[in-house]
Amino acid sequence: MTAPVLEVDGLRKEFVRGFLRKRTVAVDGVSFHVERGEVFGFLGPNGAGKTTTMKMLMGLIYPSGGTATILGAAVGDIEAKRRIGYLPENPYFYDYLSATEYLHMIGRIYGLDRHERRKRATRLLERLGLAMAEGRAMRSYSKGMLQRVGLAQALIGDPELVVLDEPMSGLDPIGRREVRELILELRGQGKTVFFSTHILADANLLCDRVGIIVKGKLRDVGPLGELLSPKVLRIEVLWQGSAELQAALREQFAEAEPGSEAEPGSEPGSERESPHSSSSEGQVFVAQAQAQLDRFVAAVIAGGGEISSVTPQRETLEQLFVRDSGTRPEEQRS
Amino acid sequence: MGTSSNGQRGLFASFGRMWAIALNTFREAVRNKVLAILVMFAVALMAFSLVLGQLSLHEEVRIIKDLGLAGISIFGVVIALFLGVNLLSKELDRKTVYAIIPKPLHRHEFLLGKYLGLLVTMVALVALMSVVLAGFLLMQGGRHGVLMVRAEILILLELLLLMAVAMLFSSFSSPWLSAMFAGSLWVIGRNTAELEAFATGKLEGSAGGTVLEFVLDLLPDFRMFFVSGANFDETVVSVHGSFVSWAYVGSAAAYAAAYGGMCLLIAVLLFQRRDFT
Ligand SMILES: Nc1ncnc2c1ncn2[C@@H]1O[C@H](COP(=O)(O)OP(=O)(O)OP(=O)(O)O)[C@@H](O)[C@H]1O
Ligand SMILES: [Mg+2]
Repeated sequence: MTAPVLEVDGLRKEFVRGFLRKRTVAVDGVSFHVERGEVFGFLGPNGAGKTTTMKMLMGLIYPSGGTATILGAAVGDIEAKRRIGYLPENPYFYDYLSATEYLHMIGRIYGLDRHERRKRATRLLERLGLAMAEGRAMRSYSKGMLQRVGLAQALIGDPELVVLDEPMSGLDPIGRREVRELILELRGQGKTVFFSTHILADANLLCDRVGIIVKGKLRDVGPLGELLSPKVLRIEVLWQGSAELQAALREQFAEAEPGSEAEPGSEPGSERESPHSSSSEGQVFVAQAQAQLDRFVAAVIAGGGEISSVTPQRETLEQLFVRDSGTRPEEQRS
Repeated sequence: MGTSSNGQRGLFASFGRMWAIALNTFREAVRNKVLAILVMFAVALMAFSLVLGQLSLHEEVRIIKDLGLAGISIFGVVIALFLGVNLLSKELDRKTVYAIIPKPLHRHEFLLGKYLGLLVTMVALVALMSVVLAGFLLMQGGRHGVLMVRAEILILLELLLLMAVAMLFSSFSSPWLSAMFAGSLWVIGRNTAELEAFATGKLEGSAGGTVLEFVLDLLPDFRMFFVSGANFDETVVSVHGSFVSWAYVGSAAAYAAAYGGMCLLIAVLLFQRRDFT
């Protein structure tokens, strides 16, 4: 068994701000490890401490406590850095340079010769769909284009470990899909990917394992499917029917079933006002239990209506965050 | 493979990384509009000296030389402050540094590379302005000559030292404050003689005098680099008559290197510990 690519042990960061020495614990004793060849997602709501953790791993800020080992070396080791690629959050680059000039500059830092720099820069710009803008000053780039330059500069050193801080942010749906494909391609090449996001769908599609960080503390580590509780919370029914049938069923199923499970995190009275609503695709009914669902579906059919879909609603990441945290750190501390 | 050749290779690689940063810094400076405007002003001042020279009788060359050197020096100081203070703080403000520090280079290589880039920029600028000045002199039938070269080298050394001081300040304070600190140090450093006379004259023997003298010894002595009109061994030094020797230029260079090196060393130590938040 090979040593983990990334090993984080009790990492902690406390920011001391301003004249009053106000303290914020941004990362509070985080421990996890990322194995070789794995795609590891770092999930958490805004302000959870994802960026802070990544910056500590990249040697941009110094931890207040704990240790981290990357590729077998301490943070900041130049030989280890050579094998790491990093995309900062909301990246910004020298705006007077073109993407090509920038990649050449980074290539020089890696000690690549001119031929190798040109080869890699051309290939990466092509791969990331920037070929048409490669000679233009980056001052004129859109946010999405800068994000792509960010990915290119992270990959120009042909890293074994790729650390991406919100790689999909600022990208349109097509761009997001391209980044997803890129991450899978990197995994296919045997590289390890450690990326942060607060979007469940991205993590769901890509990650072998995720770590969930909330308020600076790591809550869970493991495959995402195991972390989200598999229990079905409620079932959504999409149906069509005549106005009379709608009125009748609204009457008949006015209240949530007595004895049915209350949804965790929702206050009674607000969510459960009415299980009925209408959407552009038809009527929506939210059943709280299987028995209620069966009776509702039977009633729709009997009344001459149509069932379009029945969707079980499992716990979402949002609910997981809410279950774990309730409030954001800022709201809690200050 | 012996350790010494390993060390040599390491040094070579380290210089390569600094050079990557330096080249980028040079590019940034060259593509900066403010800098271009400042250089144009310096050249305009020299052109103006041409007109002034016409007004004076038979003193054209003298006036062009004096005004030209003053122009290079003054605009050089403005440019040195602007570059020395701006290039580092901009990097932090715009967060471009976030992508660079995690690359395979040491933090000190980043900072020294920045300075190296400024140095290259300044050498190029002073050379450019000197060539323009030599051109104007030729037009007036004068000669640039080796004395002028020495004077220009001294100005360059002063500017390089000033940039190191500015970089030191900008490694821990805001650009405006840094510019003000470094600018005041330059003004004080150019006037050390007056202050020294004050310390050894009026304040002689008092505690204040001793403290002032001590502080003056610590401050950079920018006077050393602008010697025109000063008294050296009872003779007035000027580019028109007797000027300082190469040996003097050499010792001034050694002073600039030692003092500037100290500034960079402290800047590196401060930069090393910094959190990029
Ligand atoms: N320089 C700083 N000084 C003080 N507090 C800070 C500093 N940087 C971050 N914080 C605080 O640390 C916490 C974690 O911030 P961080 O940027 O790591 O969150 P994040 O998980 O990356 O969030 P997002 O999803 O919004 O990017 C936040 O509460 C933030 O306010
Ligand atoms: Mg973040």
